[in-house]
Amino acid sequence: MTGAKALEITQKYPQVHLLEQTQQLKALLTIIRDQNTNRGDFIFYSDRIIRLLVEEGLNHLPVVDNVIETPTGSKYNGVDFLGKICGVSIMRAGEAMEQGLRDCCRSVRIGKILIQRDEETAEAKLYYAKLPSDISSRYVLLLDPMLATGGSAIRAIQVLLDHGVEEDRILFLNLLCAPEGVAAVVLNFPKLQIVTSDIDDGLDEHRFITPGLGDFGCRYFGTDD
Amino acid sequence: MGMLRKNNLLLTASGRPPWYTSKGKNLDVFIVGVAGGSASGKTSVAEVILKSLNVPWVVILSMDSFYKPLTPEQSARAFRNEHDFDHPNSFDYELLFKTLQALKQGEKVDIPIYDFKTHSRTNRTQRVYGANVVIFEGIFALYDPAVLSLMDMKIFVDADGDVRLARRLQRDVSERGRDLAGVLAQYQRFVKPSYETYIHPTMRNADVIVPRGLANQRAIHLITQMITKQLRESYLNFRWELARVPCSECALTDKPNLTVLPATNQLKGLHTIIRNRDTSRHDFIFYSERLCTLVVERGLSLLPFTDVTVTTPTGAPYAGQRLQSPRLCGVSILRAGSTMESGLRKVCKDIAVGKILIQSDPVTGEPKLHYCKFPRDLATSYVLLMDALVGTGAAALMAIRVLLDHRVPEDHIIFLNLLAAPQGIHAVTKAFPQVRIVSSMVDPHLSVDKLYIEPGLGNFGDRYFGTEPAESATGSNTPTVLA
Repeated sequence: MTGAKALEITQKYPQVHLLEQTQQLKALLTIIRDQNTNRGDFIFYSDRIIRLLVEEGLNHLPVVDNVIETPTGSKYNGVDFLGKICGVSIMRAGEAMEQGLRDCCRSVRIGKILIQRDEETAEAKLYYAKLPSDISSRYVLLLDPMLATGGSAIRAIQVLLDHGVEEDRILFLNLLCAPEGVAAVVLNFPKLQIVTSDIDDGLDEHRFITPGLGDFGCRYFGTDD
Repeated sequence: MGMLRKNNLLLTASGRPPWYTSKGKNLDVFIVGVAGGSASGKTSVAEVILKSLNVPWVVILSMDSFYKPLTPEQSARAFRNEHDFDHPNSFDYELLFKTLQALKQGEKVDIPIYDFKTHSRTNRTQRVYGANVVIFEGIFALYDPAVLSLMDMKIFVDADGDVRLARRLQRDVSERGRDLAGVLAQYQRFVKPSYETYIHPTMRNADVIVPRGLANQRAIHLITQMITKQLRESYLNFRWELARVPCSECALTDKPNLTVLPATNQLKGLHTIIRNRDTSRHDFIFYSERLCTLVVERGLSLLPFTDVTVTTPTGAPYAGQRLQSPRLCGVSILRAGSTMESGLRKVCKDIAVGKILIQSDPVTGEPKLHYCKFPRDLATSYVLLMDALVGTGAAALMAIRVLLDHRVPEDHIIFLNLLAAPQGIHAVTKAFPQVRIVSSMVDPHLSVDKLYIEPGLGNFGDRYFGTEPAESATGSNTPTVLA
């Protein structure tokens, strides 16, 4: 169960936003964490959580007051979203979150970053990055379903900063975090915001999140380890 | 059926007006019993009453459906014309009482279908729901005291013995191809004695005796007038009554079963888009569906969950939760509620969806039930009832009443909507305190003259489906009435 650990993390780091822990969300997480869940269900229920993450992520964008007129002729004190956004997915698993983003933001621009761990040095290495040309003027929704050690996330965020994106304009969306990864990212980039659906106990000896859900990309895309 | 046209709306005049009070309790259904000897003209009288009432939602129920199934020996005798179908013991009064009682309380009932070829009940039933008047006809309609106690009007159709025999011969010999001797023997042995011993005496239970049966048009006319008068007295002025509740009495606090989504910037941003009269239909559809998905997700979290531990691919146990009731169905209140179905399917892949068509009467503004169709296991499912807007709450009350009449437990209903007025929420929670409601936002007002939610968003269905009345499309400000 989400408990002391998650609470501790969100209290320690106000820039970490945990989705409202309803029974419903808990049940969705239970399905995708279960090793016996088939791929169809894994995709369907992951997509549902991703959509909630995107909606919550968009909620942290700035707005400006806007009074509009409804068809009844009355005034409604509403808000307008301010600023342009784009998505950036950390390949490969991050691409699984693109559909959820598109479900909420039609024809959104999406950049890609490929980072692989160098087997010799165990260091996250940048292989590829293709980003919208005006990314420096946009809010960025950075997509990666799992935040474990934070190695590749830190590398990807650095790429964004190198392209002129402002640190406080990055929203990092993930389904599952390890406390180690959260700490590492927040330490390096204190102004960035993290939106997640659950925070787990920690990492196992293979540096997998535990209890976790296994390799998200493999389960989602149907490839073997 | 008459047709009503208003702007581009076409309605057949067959909608059922409310059959319950604003507290949500059913009014009694009016039950008319029609008895009389075999071939006295009961069925014809019942049919003429039905026709001349000229109101929808009247059903005729025949006592034939309640014959007891025969044992093999009885059945063999029946084939030799030796079984007494005219004896009072041939009928299942217990089932009959239960059926009429349920109908009287406005519940859905399944009427057995009796097969005269095999003298047994088939495993099929006929579903009857939504009658304001039930006409029950049969030779022993006025026989059983318990059954009599359910009736609001009792009619005995009297016809001379020779007339009835002549009709019976005509029917059985010419139309049913049976032989003359057999029919006469049966008449002498069973029909005549039974009439004299059991049926004719029930005449004293009647309020009205109709001599000469169908030929007595004046009597039938009087009966019809009496029923019509009864029905008119129970009509209600529904929506206006609901709308008159002042907002000060509709406090949203102290409503434990109401969930309103947190008013985040994101939610306000979505509302700003769909409420804006200048928003294109393309955007209206897209953003209202996004909003809908959030409402559905919130609604699902109200279902019962149970603790479960699973093993993750890392081999570690995870203490999670699982939905307790596997049975779940959606029911949309047409038209606007059906716009929420795609949002529902995004989170519940293959969910069964029932439909209820409720429209405001263009003349009186009252809600009318035109149609309902539900999944078979409705009564044992949790029901996500959907409507985009809740104004006075009149349509919601009607829809919930229909679900209850189909024996859905009140606490199994979760009512999802995108925008509500305080009066609507108040009306629903007052009538049905156990129904859970999830709204994305509740507006401050309901206009007393036109019953619009204010500031509101106009007519949701029209904006979604692109069916705004012509004058509104040219910029004038006249959305059609919302339920």
